[in-house]
Amino acid sequence: MPESVDTRRLKLTNEERTEGVLLGFRCLECDTVIFGPGTFCQRCTSAKLEPMEFSQTGILYSYTVVRIPSAGWPGPVPYILAQVELSEGPQVLAELVDCLEDALEIGMPVELTLQLVQGEDSSAAKVVYKWRPANQPSPTAEVDP
Amino acid sequence: MTQFRPGRQVMVAGVGLHPFGRFPGKDLPTLALEAVVPALGDAGVQWRDIQVAYFGHVYYNGMSMGEGALGRLGLTGIPIINVENACSSGSTAFWQAYWGITTGIFDLALAFGAEKVPRGPVTVTAEDSPERYIGADHMMAGYALRMRRYMMETGASETALAQVAVKARQNASLNPYSHRKETNSVEDVLQSRMIADPLTLFQCCPTSEGAAAAVLVAEDALSRYSIDKARAIRIAAAVLTSGGYNGKGSDHSAFSPYRTEPAALEAYEVSGLKPEDVDLVQVHDAATIGELQQLEALHLIPFGEAWRATEDGRTAITGDIPTNTDGGLLAMGHPFGATGIRMIHETVLQLRQEAGPRQVKNARVGLAECSGAGDVTTVHILTR
Repeated sequence: MPESVDTRRLKLTNEERTEGVLLGFRCLECDTVIFGPGTFCQRCTSAKLEPMEFSQTGILYSYTVVRIPSAGWPGPVPYILAQVELSEGPQVLAELVDCLEDALEIGMPVELTLQLVQGEDSSAAKVVYKWRPANQPSPTAEVDP
Repeated sequence: MTQFRPGRQVMVAGVGLHPFGRFPGKDLPTLALEAVVPALGDAGVQWRDIQVAYFGHVYYNGMSMGEGALGRLGLTGIPIINVENACSSGSTAFWQAYWGITTGIFDLALAFGAEKVPRGPVTVTAEDSPERYIGADHMMAGYALRMRRYMMETGASETALAQVAVKARQNASLNPYSHRKETNSVEDVLQSRMIADPLTLFQCCPTSEGAAAAVLVAEDALSRYSIDKARAIRIAAAVLTSGGYNGKGSDHSAFSPYRTEPAALEAYEVSGLKPEDVDLVQVHDAATIGELQQLEALHLIPFGEAWRATEDGRTAITGDIPTNTDGGLLAMGHPFGATGIRMIHETVLQLRQEAGPRQVKNARVGLAECSGAGDVTTVHILTR
């Protein structure tokens, strides 16, 4: 079974590996919310962190269409890179799929979606978190079980 | 932030530069020495007098490359330290040399940097990192995200952003050491290949090879080394800061130069100078948007107005805030380890009134700001 691209940032929640949640922490001392791995609070350095799961939606803060990708990018070219602000505060960078370039607009609501990504060469397939426009029917099943 | 206050006054006694560009026939130590030897000559000191050396570089060209380069000048046994701090590696080497002298440990130090940056988009993480699957590790895409947001928030036009690149080429055309020597137009910039929209190719710095070096000395040791006091340039502030809480709790930087402002405020405080005292500035313009945001974060131009200042010609050599007078990263080029010291080199030439056709009139105070991954930011203020 394919694994999460980063188990510290994405937990898979069903057996088919088509659903998941983004992970992070809330600091019990200063209330700062952090996306992704953390042992100590970025802001106050406290170790009293409580694991948290983020909501499935966010707002598009900024975006770019990458036409010359970095080496090792296993996806389509060009692709939309989205900077999304979660309602809990942190921002999460990921590809935005199922969206025409003309439909992009800062402030638009987006939702989490997962895709199975085959790495370059013989690298393992991983389940990767992506964004897609919210409240839009999915064109195809994203991940083959 | 820096906990210590400066002790002894430190001066830049000499600077040297290897041209920026592509030099397939030269290895890294050769590039480095072709900056170091001129810097020693410019200072009028001998290699055997140097008491410590710091070498900024990022890409792997073998271990202990600082030792490998300087060993060709003679094995004097001094401490030689290799410094990797992303795009701020060179300016970090300079900062360390400054602190080695101001604290009284050394009298005469060498800071140098050299790089042979591979072609193609620059990434920060290791090749097997999850970022390669996620697609978020792309330096210019990060700048593009900032640029789109800045344009929306400030009303900056694409032509204003392109003008930053045009100005960089104009300055570089006056600089025999620059990677890019041909001038271009706003149309050329906007019509060049799209990298990560709205950033076009000519709004991104080239990946370059090159080297830069500086010799630093304690003011109270100038006469001991027979250094020409009239050509020595005073270091009024040397500040380095790395990433702090970015206000978002995100796993990437907030894509704003958010460490520049605190570093600049400390540099102004330490030096007793104000933004309006600065006669010329070198900032980290890896992309056009970088120059605008750095000028604002340095408090040289109010927030959201740097694009208009650029359109109005205020950042040109003849303007009131001459910026990246040698062409900057955009046109001078960007060999990571050399860049921060290249900025010192240009500032020193300007303050000595030795900058030739790109000389800023009556330049007395110069500021150099360099940023890198990890939100490493240095701010140095030099004075005549």
